[in-house]
Amino acid sequence: MEGGFKVTTVFKREFMAYFRTPIGYVFIGVFTALSGLLFYLNNLSTLSGELLIFLSQLTLLVMLLTPVLTMRLLCEERQRRTDQLLLTSPLSLWKIVLGKYLAAAAVMGIAIVLTNVCTAIIALYGTVYPGEWFVGYLGFALQSLAFLALDMFVTGFTKNQVPAAIAAFAANFLLWMLDLLADKVPAGFPADALNFISLYGRYEPFILGQLSFASVLYFITFIAVCLTASVRVMDARRFSQGGSA
Amino acid sequence: MIEVQGVSKRYGGVEALRNVSLTVPNGKTLGLLGQNGAGKTTLLNIITGYLAPTAGRVLIDGYDPLLEPENAKRELGYLPEHPPLYDEMTVEEYLRFVSALKLVQGKAIPAHLREIIRKTGLTEMQERLLGHLSKGYRQRVGLAQALCGDPDVLVLDEPTVGLDPKQITEIRALIRRLSAGKTIIFSSHNLSEVRQLCDRVVILHRGEVKLDVPIGEVGQSGAVTLLCTVQGSEKRLVAAMSHLDGVRSVSALPGAQEDEVALSLSFDPAALPEKQVFTLCSAMSTPILRMARCDDDLEQVFLKAISE
Repeated sequence: MEGGFKVTTVFKREFMAYFRTPIGYVFIGVFTALSGLLFYLNNLSTLSGELLIFLSQLTLLVMLLTPVLTMRLLCEERQRRTDQLLLTSPLSLWKIVLGKYLAAAAVMGIAIVLTNVCTAIIALYGTVYPGEWFVGYLGFALQSLAFLALDMFVTGFTKNQVPAAIAAFAANFLLWMLDLLADKVPAGFPADALNFISLYGRYEPFILGQLSFASVLYFITFIAVCLTASVRVMDARRFSQGGSA
Repeated sequence: MIEVQGVSKRYGGVEALRNVSLTVPNGKTLGLLGQNGAGKTTLLNIITGYLAPTAGRVLIDGYDPLLEPENAKRELGYLPEHPPLYDEMTVEEYLRFVSALKLVQGKAIPAHLREIIRKTGLTEMQERLLGHLSKGYRQRVGLAQALCGDPDVLVLDEPTVGLDPKQITEIRALIRRLSAGKTIIFSSHNLSEVRQLCDRVVILHRGEVKLDVPIGEVGQSGAVTLLCTVQGSEKRLVAAMSHLDGVRSVSALPGAQEDEVALSLSFDPAALPEKQVFTLCSAMSTPILRMARCDDDLEQVFLKAISE
């Protein structure tokens, strides 16, 4: 398991780095605090036990905050020139990208798990159906992982973290809104294509409590395509980037 | 063994390297000399697979770092110009991470780290955060990471730049100790460093190899080199000095100020060069601002190579 071992090596370093710097704590802290606020506004203040609606509203938080997690993964390495260590080690680009992505996914995972405090409160004063909980969280997790993969790809284009984060947020917003855009273009192929790609459209069945295998497959494919594109961006840079001579 | 075969690198319209070829046999140390912008770092980045060449190829022990990265890089240790350090890690954590990247087996890592930390004099610093280390210690950690995995091939980009004299001596001594049994290529601005540590020297200028000789053959021409800076026209001065007795070559050096000409003149040993140059400049009313013999063989060769 040499290959797996090396992915784990990158994963461990990246995961540790999130908590040796403020980024991991800030992300989890802000995500948890804002999700608590949304839970108060949607559920506690209205005495509603709707878990899926609450989860659907967390999407906005994910869109806003995933760039914070991904902005350092590739561009910070370039900025600090630590990419020279990784790219000259006997490690394929795929393993580097995968190790980094999994570290960001793990931090996101912690934030998602913590939102279950809200689930527990609903369960305490109402009813949470296990099937609904499973489908809701599956869709929410897949959508979050898709945003992470997209942001990792987008932030790989620059070595300055602020533009990287802004570009990632713009990409998140655009992909999430594609179904609204689809209403404004002529019916037929363009509209169908936009609806097909829209992350919101793919998330919708989960909000309705439906386990959509097509959407699951779409999210997995979307993640794989974004990670492959990240690898290609890194590979292409070997041919284009300048040295300091 | 490192083989660089016809490597060129182009950044947009700028040609950083032009058809560079060189070989470093097993167990030998090659010094790469050149001015800033000569292409040294680009060449080292290509050798390590960090950059891809526009043309040509590199082989590390027979493997191309771009086509067979795992095989080529398994035996490669690289200290880039700026040590690639993660400031939030301690020295020990960082070297453990690099060892794992270099495929050192988990059980062997503690002993391997102890050996590297001892060799590089980092024992007292191993619990320190990398972000808190001085420039000298950061360079040592950079060298230590290049040694992780005990690679046969070491590529060192200006390993002593920015260090104080004591640190320079220590790092040189370390490289000398490491050179036993390893294939090393390192770049430097420091001529005496190259003379002390290398078996072979390559001079790179504007992306081209100007000289590639064993260090023992440097400066065997028996010529005397005079470096002088004169106020006047370069064209007239070079033409006039070319007719001095016993002159072998006259070349203008780059980097002179406006209205000044920096010249490197090579003479037969018995030619009384200072007297001739003084008399000529006096006759031409071109004041000599500086004049000195260059006693360093390698310096003479270097200056000649970059002025051609």
